[in-house]
Amino acid sequence: MELLQFSRGPALTFAIAVFLLGTLWRLIGILMLERRRVDAEARPGTPTPLAAAASGVLAKMWPHKTFLKSSLFSVLNGYVFHIGLAISVLLFAPHVLFVKSLLGISWPALPSNVVLAVAVITAGSLLASLVHRLTNPVQRLISRIDDYVSWAVTFLPVLTGIAAVAHIGGRYETLLAVHILTVCAFLIWFPFGKLMHAFLFVLSRGTTAIRFKQRGAEV
Amino acid sequence: MNEPATLGEALSRRGISRRAFLKYSAYLASVMALPASASQAIAQGLAKARRQSVIWLSFQECTGCTESITRSSSPTLEDLIFDLISLDYHHTLMSVSGDAAEHAREAAMKENKGKYIVVVDGSVPLKDDGIYSTIAGITNLQMLKDTVKDAAAVVAVGSCAAFGGIPHARPNPTGAASITDIVKDKPVINIPGCPPIPEAMTGTLAYILSFGKLPELDHLARPKAFFGETIHDRCYRRPFYDKGLFAESFDDEGARKGYCLYKVGCKGPIAYNACATLKWNHGTSFPIQSGHGCLGCSEPHFWDQGGFYKPLAAHAGVSAPLIGAAAVAGAAAGGAAAWIARRHQQRYLAETEAIDRSVGKDKG
Amino acid sequence: MTQQTRHTHTVPGCAEPDGPTGMMHALLREIADALERFVATGEVTAIDMRGLPLSDADRVGIEQQLGQGEVSALLTVAGQSEIWETAISGVWWVRHLGASGGVAAEEIVITRLPEILATHPDDARDGLVRLRAMLAAPSADTTSPHIATTEDAA
Repeated sequence: MELLQFSRGPALTFAIAVFLLGTLWRLIGILMLERRRVDAEARPGTPTPLAAAASGVLAKMWPHKTFLKSSLFSVLNGYVFHIGLAISVLLFAPHVLFVKSLLGISWPALPSNVVLAVAVITAGSLLASLVHRLTNPVQRLISRIDDYVSWAVTFLPVLTGIAAVAHIGGRYETLLAVHILTVCAFLIWFPFGKLMHAFLFVLSRGTTAIRFKQRGAEV
Repeated sequence: MNEPATLGEALSRRGISRRAFLKYSAYLASVMALPASASQAIAQGLAKARRQSVIWLSFQECTGCTESITRSSSPTLEDLIFDLISLDYHHTLMSVSGDAAEHAREAAMKENKGKYIVVVDGSVPLKDDGIYSTIAGITNLQMLKDTVKDAAAVVAVGSCAAFGGIPHARPNPTGAASITDIVKDKPVINIPGCPPIPEAMTGTLAYILSFGKLPELDHLARPKAFFGETIHDRCYRRPFYDKGLFAESFDDEGARKGYCLYKVGCKGPIAYNACATLKWNHGTSFPIQSGHGCLGCSEPHFWDQGGFYKPLAAHAGVSAPLIGAAAVAGAAAGGAAAWIARRHQQRYLAETEAIDRSVGKDKG
Repeated sequence: MTQQTRHTHTVPGCAEPDGPTGMMHALLREIADALERFVATGEVTAIDMRGLPLSDADRVGIEQQLGQGEVSALLTVAGQSEIWETAISGVWWVRHLGASGGVAAEEIVITRLPEILATHPDDARDGLVRLRAMLAAPSADTTSPHIATTEDAA
């Protein structure tokens, strides 16, 4: 019980503080940078920067046909665990209650057993992504410690969440505390590792698209 | 006539057959979720056991625990426990006897040295040498130490004795402590609850009598038979939790339909107790069945868990000012980083322009 | 005796589920398996009804399904107990009543005869002592053995 109190209180406060501090630091630090000048003259029919950025973000949602075959597993599996994570995190009743207690806003949740099934699929998909990373020579070569830490802090909350709900491997209050602590680890790591892509993918795809479109290139 | 040697003889003298033990053991095996084969062993153990001397001490408490255990009986099956034990001293029940009661306690301690069981309800104040609760001029701490010295085991009944309970709640003005905080050299069994389920108290005593040993305990020294599972896991409303059907308030449609009370603060998932199966008042009902969430009264610090009506999933005191400060610090750090980066950018651009110019001059 | 006087814990307004939950058929299958073992090996099985998540409808359903056999007994020891053989021979229903007539323990026992019905050897020995005492007493034809021993003990 003490561990649960610690995780729900001080640990969570610290993790959220680090998350906000780090995320705002990096986001504001990037957004306030000098815009990079494009010397080339804009081609006729160049879309507005916002439209260009939006089309760039959307276009990268699916790989170019040249790479489709080689990256099909990564893309599909990526969708599975991203959607799975979104459902598990946002549509589980206790999570909705947690957000409500924190921010005062709430939304309807899915039945707990449905979310449990989704979480199990998500965990499987995350494991598959790790296996793929370790067995694919190219991916393995370009993987750094950041990739593995980011994977671990994503996988552990899913695993401990399933364990807590299904009562596997310990008493519920202990598993719940461990689950919250793994979420704390996720929040603390988030701004400083590759998890930050959750925000940065929009910025990188957007700026790339703006520059390319001005030069008349396809994205 | 001389004292009967065993409980079996004692009952037989009253014209009660060994069937009483079989019946009681069936009941005990049922409430303690023991295998049916254990029932036989209990019956044999009880018939051969001697009456157990029990000294009951009441400290910083509300008498709810005593109320609970005395409600476990009317003159029938559950009443048998009072044939099994010899309640030689009960502070509250014997208070009118005054000095005589204290003598009874001392006599029982002397007669049954090393064999008696001490039952304690209530926490013990430690602050200022324990002056905040005294009986006959003796502090609770002193009385506990004196009585426990020659005891076989101590049973801490109720959350106050087991974990400090309400007297221990913040800011704990009397320095209330649990029995396990004080008694280190004797086996202590905790039977928490506010109050504990009568069957958990009587069942544990009967188990000790039948088997001559303590029942299996969890990490908080609670008998696993009664505190082995959460209220949530044995709750008849559990299917509603799984289906995502919740009462949002105590007077909405969901509450009327008997949906899960998780959202209105039920602590069932972290409360280990037998209320959902044994129920209260001779199996009539238990809080959740009566429409109120579980308070988790059998858990340590249940009083300081951040609100009975706050959902379990809610955070426990995340500090808004601290998080606000972190956000401001993050924004400031980001601004500063950007400012430094911009200066680098500008210097770089100025330098490249200068190079461009000089290159242009050379070409021209 | 018991078919009509069912002891339940239902309180008006309390929302405990009252419909069948599907546990009934699971339990009947378990009883069948236990009976099969009893027929084959003589193994006695006791199924604790309180440990099972049964709704009131389930309890009524099981009691009706198993029916009432040829034997029924009423025990008066530490409160009352109702014991009867169900219409399925070898399957006994043992219901111990506690305070205020509520059910304190309830078992379905697969056996030839529930043990609690048989006389314990120690009790038989006690009975013999009493009977001998009764015969030895000058006015052996008067009081019941119960009263004699109670006075004796006091």
